[in-house]
Amino acid sequence: MKWIPSFGSERRKHELQEEIDAHLQMAIRDRVARGETAEAARQAEMREFGNIALVQEVTRDMWGQSWLEQLGRDLRYALRQLRKSPGFTITSTAMLAVAICANSTVFSWIDGTMLRPIPGARDTSELVSLQRGERNFSPTPPFSYLDYRDLREQNHTFDGILAYHHDWITLTGGAQPERAYIANVSANYFDVLGIRPVLGRFFLPEEETRPDAVPYVVLSYSLWKTRYAGDPAIVGKSIELARHPVTVIGVAPEGFVGAMPGIRQDLWITLNPLGSSVWRITHRGGGAVWLNVVGRLRPGVNIGQATQDLDTLMHHIVTAYPDDHLGDNRITLDPMWRSPFGANGYMAATLPILLAFAAVVLLLTCANVATLTLVRFVARRRELAIRQSLGANRMQLVRQMVLEGVVLSIVAGAAALALTAWTSKTFAWFFPANSNPVIVNGTMDYKVAIGIAVFSLLAGMLCGALPAWRSSHAPAVEILKAESASISSGSRNRRLLSGLVVAQIALSLPLLVCSALFLRTLKNLAGANPGFEQGHILTATVGLNIAGYTGDEEQAIRHKILDRVSALPGVEVASFTDWIPMTLSHKGEDAYPEGYVPHPHEALQVYHAEVGPRYFESLHIPILEGREFTPDDDEKAPRVLIVDQTAARRYWPGQDPLGKKLMVWGRAFTVVGVAKNSTHMLVNETPEPMVYMSFFQVGYETIVQVETAGNPADLATPLENAIHEIDGRLPVFDVRPMRESTQIASSFAVIESALAGMFALIGLVLAVTGIYGVVTYRTQMRTHEIGVRMALGASRVDVLRLVLVQGLWLTGIGLALGLAFALGLTRLIVRLLYGIGANDPVTVVSVVMLLGAMSLAACYLPAHRAMRRNPVTAIREL
Amino acid sequence: MSTSMGEKEQYKNRIDLLQGTLDMLILQTLQWGPQHGYGIVQALRLRSGDVLQVETGSLYPALHRLERQGWVQSEWKQSESKQRARYYRITAKGKKQLASDLGRWERIVEAIGSVMYVKPKESES
Repeated sequence: MKWIPSFGSERRKHELQEEIDAHLQMAIRDRVARGETAEAARQAEMREFGNIALVQEVTRDMWGQSWLEQLGRDLRYALRQLRKSPGFTITSTAMLAVAICANSTVFSWIDGTMLRPIPGARDTSELVSLQRGERNFSPTPPFSYLDYRDLREQNHTFDGILAYHHDWITLTGGAQPERAYIANVSANYFDVLGIRPVLGRFFLPEEETRPDAVPYVVLSYSLWKTRYAGDPAIVGKSIELARHPVTVIGVAPEGFVGAMPGIRQDLWITLNPLGSSVWRITHRGGGAVWLNVVGRLRPGVNIGQATQDLDTLMHHIVTAYPDDHLGDNRITLDPMWRSPFGANGYMAATLPILLAFAAVVLLLTCANVATLTLVRFVARRRELAIRQSLGANRMQLVRQMVLEGVVLSIVAGAAALALTAWTSKTFAWFFPANSNPVIVNGTMDYKVAIGIAVFSLLAGMLCGALPAWRSSHAPAVEILKAESASISSGSRNRRLLSGLVVAQIALSLPLLVCSALFLRTLKNLAGANPGFEQGHILTATVGLNIAGYTGDEEQAIRHKILDRVSALPGVEVASFTDWIPMTLSHKGEDAYPEGYVPHPHEALQVYHAEVGPRYFESLHIPILEGREFTPDDDEKAPRVLIVDQTAARRYWPGQDPLGKKLMVWGRAFTVVGVAKNSTHMLVNETPEPMVYMSFFQVGYETIVQVETAGNPADLATPLENAIHEIDGRLPVFDVRPMRESTQIASSFAVIESALAGMFALIGLVLAVTGIYGVVTYRTQMRTHEIGVRMALGASRVDVLRLVLVQGLWLTGIGLALGLAFALGLTRLIVRLLYGIGANDPVTVVSVVMLLGAMSLAACYLPAHRAMRRNPVTAIREL
Repeated sequence: MSTSMGEKEQYKNRIDLLQGTLDMLILQTLQWGPQHGYGIVQALRLRSGDVLQVETGSLYPALHRLERQGWVQSEWKQSESKQRARYYRITAKGKKQLASDLGRWERIVEAIGSVMYVKPKESES
C-alpha cells in the first residue's frame, strides 16, 4: 500500500533489528556466564523478550511519519473521498477545467501576440516603436529617411534604431507569379533586433541607401523552405522580384517574420536598391515620410528619458526644416506589446479586458465548487467529528480537506492544459483572409503552462480552504450528540453558503451586462451605414506595378482590363481603385490646402485614395457638388481631386470648395467635386479628411472594383479569367466580395462579443445552478421543520413563501452587489462600445430582470417540491 | 511479520499505563552515564532489588519515543564485551524533563500517601 517510498526508513528498520539482536546477545552471554547452556539461555531469553516482531512494530510506531508519508496518506484519503462521490468529483473538475481553460486560452493569445511581439528578436522589452505626431491605431509610417538618420545618429539613449517600409511585390521567375510581402530596411535592421542569419549574411552599413546593379535580398526562413525548397546553396544565387534579378545574400532564422507585430514579411531589401527611391532618401517632407521606426533602449534608460531625448532632437530638426514639418511633431514611444503599428494596438485594447472577464469566470466557478464542497463537508460532518475526537487535530483536518480541493484543481488544470493546446490556436479564426498578411495566433508555451498551474492552484485553494476552515470549526461533541440531521451546528456554514451564492450572482451580473453591451455593439456595427454599398461589390488586386511593366504599358493594360471587365455579363459598373475601405489600412499624406491657416500643432495630414471613373457610382457614394472623375482625368490633364465633407468643412468652411487648390507631393491639385462622408477604417472612427485622386493620374496599386447584378462571389472566376486573357502572366490576388474584406474591421468586436458571450453564459449557468443547489439543500435540511409547520396548520402557500423568500433575499443582495460591480467593470469597456452607453439602462435592466427571473425559477423548483410534501412523511424524515 | 490488530492495541494500552513512570525511570538511569537497552534493564533491576523488571516490549518503544522527543540521544559503540550496541545518553532537555517528572512523581506519592495514611476521625459527636 506504500505509494511513496520513505527514504532512510529501511536503514532505521535494520538498525532496530541490530539493536534488539545486541540486546539478546548480551542477555544470553550473561545467562551463560551464570552457568546456563547456550541453547537453554537462548530459549529462555527469547521467551522473556516476547514477540520480537511486535516489539519492532510498536517501536517503529514511535518514529512518527515523515511529511512525505503524511502527504501520501492524506492523498490516498482524499482520493478515496473523491471516489466516493463521483458526481461531485466529475462536475467540479469539469467546471474548473472550463474556467481555467477560459483563462489560459486568453492568456495564450496574449502570450502569442503582446508578449511575443517580434518572434525571434532578442529581449523585446527593450524595444520601443517611435511615433511622430498624433497617436492612433494603424498610423501611417511617421518618419522620413533623413529625420530617421538624424535621430539614429544623434540620440544618447538608444543602442540602435532601425527603420523599415512595408510593401508587397511579386516573386517572378517561377511557373506562377507569387505575392510576397517585402520590407525596405535600414542596414542595422536585423542587428538591432538581435537576429542572426541561418545562411549567408545581412546588410552592410554602406549598402543601406546604395543602389546596386543586382540588388541584394534576404529571404525569410519559410519563403526559403517553400519557394526555394530549402536550397542550401541559395546564397549568391539570383532570383527574380517583379522581373528584376536580385541576389540572395542571406536567410533569416526560422520564426522571424519582421519588426511589425502580427504582420508577416517574407523578404527584405535595402532602402534604395534600384536607385528609384532617391527622392525618398534625400527629402524630409511629403512623400518622403515613409519609414516605420523601432529602437532598442540602452540598458538602464527608461521610456520617459528616451522620449525626452528624441523630442529635443526632433525639435532641432523641425526648427531647421520648418516647411517639411508642419503640424504636430512630438515623439511618443510605445513598448512593442502595445505598439500602434501592426496588430498589438488592437490586441492591447481587447485582450487584457477579456482576461479580466475570464478571471471573473474562474472566481465564479470557485464559488460554485466551494458551495458544493461545503455541502459535502456538512454531509460528512459526523465523519469529521469522529476523526476529530479520535485525535486528529484541526490543522490535519483542514489539510486533508484542502488537499481534496487541490487534487480536483490539479486534474482540472491537466485537462485545461490539454484543451488549451487546441484553443490557443483558435485565435486565427477571428481574422478572415484579407490583403494584409496578418499572422496572429496564440502560443502554448511554458508561460501558459505556468499560468495554468497558478490558476489551478489558486482555484484549488479557494475551493477547498474556505469550506474546510469553516467545517473544521464545528464542535465535535455536539455533532456526535445530535442524532438528527439538524443543522443547528451549521449556522456558520449557512452564512458561508449564502455568501457564496450571493457572490455567484454578483459576479455573473457584470459578465452578462458586458456581454450584452458587446453584442449590441456588434449589432450596431453590422447595422451601421458605412456610407457606401458593399453588398454587390467584387474586388481583385492586379499585380501590375510590381510585375515589371513600363508606365505606358501599365496604362494600356489598365484600359484593356476596364473594357473587358465592363463587358462581362453580370457586371453593372467596373472601376479602379488602389484602396479598399474598412480593411484596417489607409494611406496618409501631408497636404497643404490653399488659403488655409493651420492651428498650432495641427497635422495637415489627409487620407487619400486613387479611384477611377464611376468609382463613386459603383459604391453609391453621392457626389454632393461638382463631378466624379472621368476617363479624361488622365496624366495629360490637369491634376484634380475630390474631397469628402470632412475635408471640405475643415479647410474651406463656409466657402465653395470647388476650384480650390491643395498641394500634395509639391503639386497643386484642383478640387472638382465633394463626396459624401463614408467610413474609412472603422465604423466608430473619428472622421479624418479624405481626398480622392484620379486613378489614371496618380494610381499606384491596381484594384479592379466591379458592381455586380447578382452575388459578387459568382463573378470571381470570370473576372480573373478576363484579366488573364489580356496577359496570362498578370498576377491576380485577393479576388473576393468586398463584404468579406471589410469583415476585418469588426474582427475585434466579434472576438469581444464571442468571448464575453461565452463567459456570460457560463456565468449564468453557474449562478443559477448555484442558487438552485443551495436552496434545494437548505430546504431538504428543513424537511422536518416544514413537516412540523404544516402539521401545525401552515398552508402550502406559507411553505412556498418560506422557501422562496429565502432565495429571493439571496438573489436580491447578489443583484445589488452585482450591479455596483457591473457599473465599475463597464467603464473598462467604454472605448470598445459603439452606439450604446456603458450604463445603457435598457441593457442593465433587462440583464437584471433575466438573472432575477432565472434565479426565481431556480428557487421555485425546490419550494414547489417542499410545498407538495406530505407533512406526515416529512416529520418522520429526520 | 505483521501482528493481528487486536493484540497490538491491547499491548499499546499496557504501555500507556506505564509510560510516564517508565520514562522517568529510564531518564534517571541515564543520569549515571550512557547506557544501552540491555544495560538499562539490568540497572533498573539491580537498583530496585529485583523488583522492577522492565519488559523489552515497553523499553524499546519508550527509548525511541524519548529520542524523537529529544530527551535522549543515541550512538553506536562497542560495549565492554566487544558487542556493538546502541548507547543512549540523556540530553539537557531530557534532564529538564526528568526534573519536572520527578517533581510530579513526588507530588503524586505525597498525595497518595496522604490518602492512604490519613487517620479517620475518632468521633463524630
